[in-house]
Amino acid sequence: MPNTAKADVLQGTLDLMILQTLSTLGPLHGYAIAERLEQVSKGALQLNMGTLYPGLLRLEQRGFIRAQWNITENNRRARFYSITTAGTRQLAAEKAEWTRMASIMQSVLSGESQ
Amino acid sequence: MIPRIREFLLRLHRTLRPDHSADDELRFHLEMAEAAARRRGESLRDARLRAGSVAQASEALHDQRTLAWLRDFFQDTRYGIRLLARSPLFAVAAIGSLALGIGANTAIFSLIDAVMLRVMPVHQPERLLEFAKHSGQYGRGNFSHPLYQHFRRELRSFDGLLARASLGRREVSFGGEPELVNVEVVSSNYYAVLGITAFAGRTFDPDLDQHPAALAVLSHAFWQHRFAADPAVIGRTLRLNRTVFTVAGVGPPEFHGVVPGEAPDITFPLAFDGEVRGGDTWVPYESRGWLSVIGRISPGQSISHAQTEVSSIYAGILAAEAAHYPKELHRRQILSQRMLLQPAANGLDTLRERFSEPLRILMGIVALVLLIACANLANLLLGRASTRRREIAVRLAMGAGRGRVIRQLFAEGLLLSTAGGALGLLLACWSANALITVMSNGGQRIALEIRPDLRVLTFAAAVSVAACLLFSLAPAFEATRRALQPALAEARGSTRWRLGRVLISIQVAISIVLLIGAGLFGRTLYRLYSLETGFDRSSVLVFSLDTRHASLRGPALRDRVLQDLRSLPGVAAASVATSPVGLAGWDGSIRVEGYTPAPNEDDRVQFNAAAPDYFATLRTPVLLGREFNDRDTPTSLKVVVINDAFARRYFRDHSPLGKWVNIAGQPDRREIVGVVKDVRLRSSREGALPTLYLALTQAGSGAAGAFVVRGGIPEVIVHSALKRIDPNLRATDLRTLEEHLSRGVLQERIMGTLSAFFGALSLLLVSLGIYGVVAFQVARRRKEIGIRIALGARPRQVVAMILAESSVPVAFGVTAGIAGAAALTRVTQKMLYGVTPTDPITFTAACAILITLAFAAAWFPSRIAARLSPVDTLRCE
Repeated sequence: MPNTAKADVLQGTLDLMILQTLSTLGPLHGYAIAERLEQVSKGALQLNMGTLYPGLLRLEQRGFIRAQWNITENNRRARFYSITTAGTRQLAAEKAEWTRMASIMQSVLSGESQ
Repeated sequence: MIPRIREFLLRLHRTLRPDHSADDELRFHLEMAEAAARRRGESLRDARLRAGSVAQASEALHDQRTLAWLRDFFQDTRYGIRLLARSPLFAVAAIGSLALGIGANTAIFSLIDAVMLRVMPVHQPERLLEFAKHSGQYGRGNFSHPLYQHFRRELRSFDGLLARASLGRREVSFGGEPELVNVEVVSSNYYAVLGITAFAGRTFDPDLDQHPAALAVLSHAFWQHRFAADPAVIGRTLRLNRTVFTVAGVGPPEFHGVVPGEAPDITFPLAFDGEVRGGDTWVPYESRGWLSVIGRISPGQSISHAQTEVSSIYAGILAAEAAHYPKELHRRQILSQRMLLQPAANGLDTLRERFSEPLRILMGIVALVLLIACANLANLLLGRASTRRREIAVRLAMGAGRGRVIRQLFAEGLLLSTAGGALGLLLACWSANALITVMSNGGQRIALEIRPDLRVLTFAAAVSVAACLLFSLAPAFEATRRALQPALAEARGSTRWRLGRVLISIQVAISIVLLIGAGLFGRTLYRLYSLETGFDRSSVLVFSLDTRHASLRGPALRDRVLQDLRSLPGVAAASVATSPVGLAGWDGSIRVEGYTPAPNEDDRVQFNAAAPDYFATLRTPVLLGREFNDRDTPTSLKVVVINDAFARRYFRDHSPLGKWVNIAGQPDRREIVGVVKDVRLRSSREGALPTLYLALTQAGSGAAGAFVVRGGIPEVIVHSALKRIDPNLRATDLRTLEEHLSRGVLQERIMGTLSAFFGALSLLLVSLGIYGVVAFQVARRRKEIGIRIALGARPRQVVAMILAESSVPVAFGVTAGIAGAAALTRVTQKMLYGVTPTDPITFTAACAILITLAFAAAWFPSRIAARLSPVDTLRCE
C-alpha cells in the first residue's frame, strides 16, 4: 500500500534517497526532489512537506547538503539544495552499507522461506 | 581575518534566528504541487492533502531546528565538562583567572550600583530634585532653617520641600543600657514628600510643625536587627539626652534614607534638633547651614522652569544679604553663589561626589585586568586547540560542520566563563564589602548595602559572556581552520604562533597602562605623605571633650585637663587649640598696620586660637619670636602668632615681630610676637593659607576644641585621667594624629592601593602568559632545537634565540602601552598630586619592571630548550 510506504519512510532511507537524487541530478528545490522520488518509485513514495523538509534541514545541519535561494526556469524564487563533499562521502558509505545490509537481508529472508 | 569573521558571524546568525523563509519555501512547494495537479487534470484537494499543511510542516521544521540546537548544546556541554575534568590544572588556572577578572569587575560595578545607580524606593523618584547650594569659594553649602522655610513659602513649582540633617551617632536608651545609633532629624513633611508610608505604626504627620510632639520613626533595618521586628515596639519610649521620645512607627523596608551610605537608624522631628544634639536648637539661626533640602516638583512642571523660579528667589535673598556688606568684594562673593537643582532619584550625592571619579577609574582598571585575563585564556585555549587538532580534524572528517565544531569550542568557553562568573560573583560580594570597610576608613562604617540585585547579576552575566566571546572566538576559529590544512602548517611561522604573539603584545600593552597608572597613584600618595606638613605626627593623640554633663566648664576645666595631662608619666607635652590640627577655625577680615591693601584685595585670613605650648607639642618650628606662654592672660597685652604664609604676604622681607594687627569688629590691636612654620594637611593640595593664631586666653569665645598630647601613651590613660577629674567627663574622637590625618588622603590611599594591586595582578597574568606561550613554542620545536644543538649550537645561543624571538611581541606591546598610557592617564589628572600624567620616571620604571619580568618569564622555558638532548628529541618522534 503506497500510503504506509509514505508514512513509514525510514529516516536513514529518506536521507539516502535525497542524497542519491541530488548526487545524480545536481541542485534541486524541495518540490523537485519530492516529484523525482515519486516518479522513480512509480508513485509509491509520496512525501508530504512535514516529512521532506525536516529531513532536508537535518541533512543541512549535518553538513551533507547546502541550500541556496535561486531562480527556477519559470522565474520563481526557490531554495535549491545541492550535495556537499561530506554528503558525497556519506552517500558512498551509506550506499555500500545499504547494499551489504540488503544482501544480508536477502540471504536471511530467502533462507527462511525455504 | 575580517571577512572570515564576518562569514562566521553570518553563519552563526543563520543557525540561531527563526527562519521565516522556510514558510516561503513551503508555500512554493504547495503552489508547485497545485500547478502539477492542474496540468494533469487531477483534483486540487487531493494534491493539497498529499503535500500536507504548511503550518504543520513549519512546526516540524521549527522542532527540528531547536531540538537539534538544544541537543547539540547539551552534548557540547557534557563533552566540555569531560574535557575540563581531564585537565584539571588548566581548568583551575582558567576558571581562577576568570573569577578574579569577573569578580573585580562585578565588585566595582556593585559599588557603582550602590553609590550611583540605585534608585530610592520612593514614590516617583524622578520628580525629586536636590537643592545644591554652590558658593564659589567654599564649594557646596547646606541650608539654614530660615533659608529652607523661605523657599518652602515662596516656591510654586514644587509639591513639597523636605529638609533633613544627619546628627551622627548618639546614645539612645530603650529603658536599658544606652546604645549608639545613627540619628537623623527631618522636617515633618519628610515622609509625605518622599511619598513613603510606614511599614508599621505611622510616620510623621505634616502638621507636626504646628504641634510638635516628641516622636521617633525607626528604620526598617534597625527595627529588624534591634527588635527582631517586634510590632510591640510601637508606642514604646526611648530616651535621648534628657528627652523622652515615643516610637511612632517603622519606615518601609528597602528604604535607607536619602543619603547613600548613611542609613539612619532613627529619625526625629526637626523641631527637636536641640534635644537630639543635647544642646541648643539651630532652627532659628540664619548663619547655621546644616540642612540638606530635596523638593518634589509638581507633575507636568519642567525642571528648567523650576530652576528659573529657584534662581530668581535665591537672587532676591542674596541681594538682601549683600546689602549688609559695605565692601564690594564681599558683595560680589555673596552674589556669586548659585542654587542648582539636580536629580535626587538616587539620593543626595555626597558619597557620589567623593567616590564617583575613583570608582569610574577603577572600573576602567578592572576592565583592563579582565582583558588581560581573557587574552591569557585565549592563548591557553590556542595552545590546547593545537594539541586537539587531531581530535578536531577527525570530527571534521567525520562530517561535522565547521560551525558545529566552533559551537562546541564556544560551549567549552561558556562553561569556563560561567564557572568563573559564578565564582567571581562570590568574590565580588566579599571584596565589595571589604572595599567599603576601606572606604569608611576606620570611622563610622559607610552603610551601603551591597546586594547582588538584578542589575549586578545582569552585569556579571554580560561580562562573563563577553569574556567568553573574547577568549574563545580566535582560538575556535584558528583550530577549525588549521585542522583543514595539511600537517605542513606545523612550520615555524604558523598562525598559532603569530596570533599568540599578538595576544602577548596586547597583554603587555595593557599591563604597561595599568602599571603606569599604579605608578602615578603611588607617587601621588608618596608625595602627599612626604609633604612638608609643618608638624611631627608621630605619637600624638588628639581628642575633644564632651562636657555636657561635667560640673566644671570653660577655662577652669581646660586648665585642669591640661595640667593633669602634662603630669601623666610618658607625656612630653600637651596643649589645646580651637580647631583640629591643620584646619582653620574660622576666617575673618583683618588690617595690618603699615600695609596698604590693593583695591578689592581680599583682606580675610584664617583664624585659630591656641593654648601655651601648642606649637611645641606639635613640634611646629617657631621661625621668629616666641609662641604663647602662661604670661599671655586675658588682661595682658593682646598678642598673636602668625604663620609663614601670613608673614610672606604682609611683610615680605621685613620682620613682622612687634607689628600690629587689627581684627575687624574688635577694638584692640594685637601685637605679633611670633612666626611659625606653615601647618598644612596632606589633603590640601594648595599651599598653606595666611593664618593668624590668637592666644586662647584672649580669644573671647575661643572654645577648647581639639586637645593634642605628645607621648606614646595608650588611649585608655587619657580616658582614666579625665574620669579622675570628673566621672561625667568624656573624650570624644580620641585617636592618634596619624589616624586623624589619614582620613584626608583616603581617596588617594584607595587609588594607590587598589591600582598597585591590580597592576601586580596584571604583571602576574602577563608573566604566566609569556611563560605559557614560550614553553609551548619550545615544546613544539623540540626537534628543530635538537637539530640545532646536534649541529653545534651552544646552549647560550639557543637561549639567546628564544629570548630574541620573545622580545619582538614584548617590544610591540611596550610601545603600544606607552602610547596608550600617554593618552589614557590624562583622565586621572585631577586625582594626581606632585606628578604629571606623563611622568617620565613612572613610565620608565613601569617599562623596566615589565621588560624584566617578561624576560624572566621567557628565560625559564628557554633554559629547558638549551638543555634538550639532541638524541632524545630526535628519537621521540
